Amino acid sequence: MFSAAESDALHARVRAFITASLSPRGEPAEPFDALALDLARAQAAHIPEMARLARARGVDLSLAHEASAIPAVPCDVFRLARLAVHPPACDVALFRTSGTSQGVRGEHALRTVETYELAALTWGARHLWPDGAALRALVLTPSIAQVPDSSLGFMLDRFARALERPPAFLMPLDARGEAAIDLDGLAAAAAEARAAGAPVIVLATSFALVHLLDGPGGLDLRLPAGSRVMQTGGFKGRSREIAPDALRALVARAFAVPETHVVSEYGMTELSSQLYEGTLAAALGHGPALPHGVYLPPPWVRVTAVDPGSLLPVPRGEIGLARVVDLANVDSAVAIQTADCVRVVAGGIELLGRQPGATPRGCSIAADEMLGRA
Amino acid sequence: MIEALDARRARVLRVVALGRRLADAGDPLGSEARAALEASSGLSREGVALALGEHLEVDPAPGQLDALLVRATSARCHVVLAANVCTAALRAIALAVATAPRVAVRASRRDPVLAEILTRELAADAAFAAAGGAIARVVEIAAAPGDELHLYGSDEAMAALSARAPAGVVVRAHGTGLGLAVVGLAVAVEAAAEALARDVVPFDQRGCLSPRVALVEGGAARAEAFAAALHGALAALGERVPRGPMDAAARAELARYRATLEAVGVHREGPHHAVGLDPAPRALVLPPAARAVHVVAAEAGDAAALLRASAAHLTSVGSDDDGALALAVRALAPHARRARLGAMQRPPLDGPVDLRGVGLRGAGPALRDP
Repeated sequence: MFSAAESDALHARVRAFITASLSPRGEPAEPFDALALDLARAQAAHIPEMARLARARGVDLSLAHEASAIPAVPCDVFRLARLAVHPPACDVALFRTSGTSQGVRGEHALRTVETYELAALTWGARHLWPDGAALRALVLTPSIAQVPDSSLGFMLDRFARALERPPAFLMPLDARGEAAIDLDGLAAAAAEARAAGAPVIVLATSFALVHLLDGPGGLDLRLPAGSRVMQTGGFKGRSREIAPDALRALVARAFAVPETHVVSEYGMTELSSQLYEGTLAAALGHGPALPHGVYLPPPWVRVTAVDPGSLLPVPRGEIGLARVVDLANVDSAVAIQTADCVRVVAGGIELLGRQPGATPRGCSIAADEMLGRA
Repeated sequence: MIEALDARRARVLRVVALGRRLADAGDPLGSEARAALEASSGLSREGVALALGEHLEVDPAPGQLDALLVRATSARCHVVLAANVCTAALRAIALAVATAPRVAVRASRRDPVLAEILTRELAADAAFAAAGGAIARVVEIAAAPGDELHLYGSDEAMAALSARAPAGVVVRAHGTGLGLAVVGLAVAVEAAAEALARDVVPFDQRGCLSPRVALVEGGAARAEAFAAALHGALAALGERVPRGPMDAAARAELARYRATLEAVGVHREGPHHAVGLDPAPRALVLPPAARAVHVVAAEAGDAAALLRASAAHLTSVGSDDDGALALAVRALAPHARRARLGAMQRPPLDGPVDLRGVGLRGAGPALRDP
């Protein structure tokens, strides 16, 4: 039987962990592994898929001592089943994955957004405004009011609200449900920022930035000193694809910001926490120097690279699939198995793209081809 | 160009005659093909023997050939075999020689064996020449307006090849797809499982007719019983006909599929196969083409939602009854071949395997195969 009190207590422990881990002393309130295992035990007690997975792997969570023992739930399961300790009536948010060609979208149900907000804001602030700059957010995604099931929209909404100056959402949905950048609005906002000498932060998806770069030329999008850009996500067939280095250089030139100030974020609907490149924090003297392409997990997230064939950890430095333990996934699945290739390096992980599906040696269709993600 | 039907039929029959030799392990051609395919196809020795011995089109009924010959003709036909099962060259070349007296074949780089043998033997065959036939292997296709271009491969590869063809070339493209089995209420679960296993094992499930998903009518318990029976049937067949080695990408995809099904249902695996069961499916998961079958419980009313992403890719629907679920699936995939369970990999030689009629832009009119 689901217990709101039990869930609330776990949320409180996770929020304490988050707060303490980013305090000046940097010491979490309790060990990561113990908290992760308590979350996994509670989830297995209420989510049949979690219990089934543990049984199939021969894992007795009551006896486990390390988070690495928790069976990681493949992202696809969020599409095939409801992964929540609580009943639908208790949902306060239901985030859905963006893929629509598969027919059914993955769902991540939340019974409280407090923990999600704390995780997103504290780590986002550390990497996007570690200097405490008074920024205005220019958001190149639809607003959360237009896409209430978008976890990215939710996060960017909270970012925009957390900043001191009123945000501008410059990629609204039209009557057909298509999103298009308000180019005039963006240029006007940039001009206003230049005139006032007030820095801004552009929050955008990668494909929105490509659309912007491919749009009509002649727009003056230069931003004043101290401005920065956060980009996230892949292209998902919504724009032409540009290599990360090239896109970063083009974005930096278009907005007249240093390349260090173009920060990529890694997140997914199935997670409640995000990873960031640390280049901006380093440039502003708030973090170690790390190159672009290295994503930093927060202390409440542990990323392990696992062998794609066995799903067992690979030696440090070798490429594998990202297995993510996210303590902020309190009411869903604390351990997630992604299909993203990563290499764990000092300070973070390198993201190396999605693991391609098998290409059959014949005329049988590949899963990626059928699902439109080839 | 209008060519005498007899000449076209005669050319097709020469292809079929070569097919009989290839099917015969004691024939020098059959022996040559087996040796070469064991090295190139990725199938086990037993898998090659099964493909050549039981899945070549060697005995077409006259009515089937009549259907094959009811098609437009031209002076030249070009065949590109980009990706297909190892026996597919026979049907592709039969279709080409039914279409035109002069045929050019570009074989798959990965698996050129049967295309090479058939082309070589037909080029030296006096009876084929007497029927007006001329055939050659080519490295590059040089189609001219009025020619036919038959493409076999992924949609992406076909689109690229089609775009390069000059205007006026008639392109007939046959893409990738999958087979789906329906186990209706009127069917005995054990018998259906044994029959379906015989459809899964040939070509290690790499063909576009190969069933990779089974919808079982009658509830979760019946689907569970079918999945267990299929696991047993595939294990038994796998002992006789082992699966060829899996590459790293297929192993990885199977690992993800296994983990997914361990969470949502039941996953059973043997040395040469895997069966996953989702007793209450919200959506379908497509397992890798490596003798892996995704079994779900379904009723007729579920079919449209479950097949939303895959109906257009269905090239074959296997079923042994005309129950509500089978009818619903057929309605969603009207161009898919229909077959009884156990016969999904033995389509009559009446046209291309893929009857969906993929039309491509860029090279003349988008056409449907008859």
